[in-house]
Amino acid sequence: MGDILGLVGKRLGLGVFILFVISIIIFFMVELLPGDIAQAVLGQGATEENLAALRKQMGLDQPAIMRYLDWLSGAVFLDFGNSIVTGERVTAVIGERFMNTLFLAAYAAVIAVPVAIVLGVIVALLRNSIFDRVANVVTLSFISSPEFFLGYILILFFAVKWQMFPAISSLSEDMTLGELLIRTFLPALTLVLVVMAHMMRMTRAAIINLLASPYIEMARLKGAPPWKVIVKHALPNAWAPIINVVALNLAYLITGVVLVEVVFVYPGIGQALVDAVSKRDFPVVQACCLIFAATFILLNLAADVGAILTNPRLRHPK
Amino acid sequence: MSWFVIIYYTLLLGTSCLAAFFNKRQIFLVAFGLTLVSFILGIIGGPAALKAVAICAALLGLAAMVSYAFREFLIQIASDEMGKELRTAPMTAAFGMFVMFTYAVMGVFAPWIAPHGEAEVIASAFAPPDQNMLLGADQLGRDMFSRIIYGARNSVGLALAATIAAFVLGALAGLLAATKGGWFDQFMGRVADVIMSIPSLIFALLMLSIFGPHIHVIIIAVAVIYAPRVFRLTRAVAGNVVVMDYIEAAKLRGEGTWYLIRREILPNSTAPLVAEFGLEFCFVFLLVAGLSFLGLGIQPPTADWGSMVRENATLISFGDITPLIPAAAIALLTVGVNFVVDWMLHRSSGLKE
Repeated sequence: MGDILGLVGKRLGLGVFILFVISIIIFFMVELLPGDIAQAVLGQGATEENLAALRKQMGLDQPAIMRYLDWLSGAVFLDFGNSIVTGERVTAVIGERFMNTLFLAAYAAVIAVPVAIVLGVIVALLRNSIFDRVANVVTLSFISSPEFFLGYILILFFAVKWQMFPAISSLSEDMTLGELLIRTFLPALTLVLVVMAHMMRMTRAAIINLLASPYIEMARLKGAPPWKVIVKHALPNAWAPIINVVALNLAYLITGVVLVEVVFVYPGIGQALVDAVSKRDFPVVQACCLIFAATFILLNLAADVGAILTNPRLRHPK
Repeated sequence: MSWFVIIYYTLLLGTSCLAAFFNKRQIFLVAFGLTLVSFILGIIGGPAALKAVAICAALLGLAAMVSYAFREFLIQIASDEMGKELRTAPMTAAFGMFVMFTYAVMGVFAPWIAPHGEAEVIASAFAPPDQNMLLGADQLGRDMFSRIIYGARNSVGLALAATIAAFVLGALAGLLAATKGGWFDQFMGRVADVIMSIPSLIFALLMLSIFGPHIHVIIIAVAVIYAPRVFRLTRAVAGNVVVMDYIEAAKLRGEGTWYLIRREILPNSTAPLVAEFGLEFCFVFLLVAGLSFLGLGIQPPTADWGSMVRENATLISFGDITPLIPAAAIALLTVGVNFVVDWMLHRSSGLKE
């Protein structure tokens, strides 16, 4: 058990280190601005006094390293400073939106994960049949479509033509869970379609890879019934790739969510990021980027740890 | 019972019976399965649903015929060697090649195909289609059809330029890392790790918010984001080649690094690299389309598919599908390229069946 903990600990340490490097990139990229933030906020017409005052207010008269350390120590305690457009605390702007995004991603994941894995296994078992070919073409089309294309098609049919679900997901505090689920159904469905296609293809590839191994053929040759070959022989070894597939696709959800939130005007962190980018509100952009990157790294980490836990071979690296 | 419904079922049942009689199992399964599904669809949606199914089937049939003809055409004009290769292409790959060909023609000859200029205001905002404008006008009264044609040139051109930049950067770094080895290899590997652990869209948004949405910024940002993927693949492929005896021999002859890369390693690792180029193009195209949908791509008045969708999205709430056409154009090209890449990967690597 000790060496597992050691391996997981090492992996965690590496994740924290990468996150640290990314925070450096995110912070110092803004330093690359022609001029500085104060210049970017006030524009070309700003007077010297105004610039100096704003620089002092934002602490820009400090050296960059000091400001970075300040920002980083704040970020560890979820304090990202103030927005330069509205002056509000960034945490206040983003906090609730981040929860909304997590809700949407969780909603999509709860539907997509089980369906995709079951379908992926079925497709792998029926490989090279007409069903497999059709599934291949359909999933490929979903993967190749931009998220906004799928989103608008869903709006066109479900919201405009059949009027089953609202096209815009406006949320309020006092909604019941059922109402919330209906309001956010279309954005969740868009995410489900994309992620499910990815997950199905990856599950199919993993299972087919597994079914090609000699010990499965041995089980078949000795006359074990097909369901037993799958459940008793294939599945224990299939967990590792499947966990990997799930974690990687949840990480993919994080990026997909930005476009989907914009299509459905969903009050999430992706929308906040896009707004901040167009207003050049750098503290918010930095905070959003750091949160997205941290989530992404966390999920990739989960994939690695899951792989280590389910596959004993990885516990003894060469 | 309208004539349409009667003909519809007669055709389907006729096809199924013929397929069963001639022992074509797969065609029979599809045709008869469609018949059964149509019963349910017909009861729920009425003749309208059946018409939609018929249109889809007709489109699929048309696509199949076009791809078959296009493949035969390619086999005819290609040399014997190439023709043999092309014969192994499945229908989907032929379809992908046809789509790529169409887009190339559209992009190159845009000014001659499009009836109006891309920034020319010729009607009132959102004017409906007439003889002059095939698809109506957009939010500023420009001809939608012409803008879609020009979009092929602008959007695909930008994505292609960005992919080439990413590819050159990544492949060069990968080849150098494989031949040099040592600290350079280690260092580049770590850099690639860090870049790949930032979600691509987020990283692109960060860079564009800082440097502004200019074309050269987009190309550089995309190149930086996607070069690590190419780097890893090139590094792995070239790593297998570098240990070969003929490389050792060339080194003993006293050849320089550049000669090794150009004359020995590259010719032996082209197949996976070409497939990777196709895949990479799909990713880049989708990323650039997403960026321009968010208003951070090519700036107006240049026609660009992603931003066209966003600008005309209000039409969708009136049940008009025109804004979806540029989005569909993006999806179609990506699907086409993916089909071709699928076939090439299959051929070069012999994936497990």
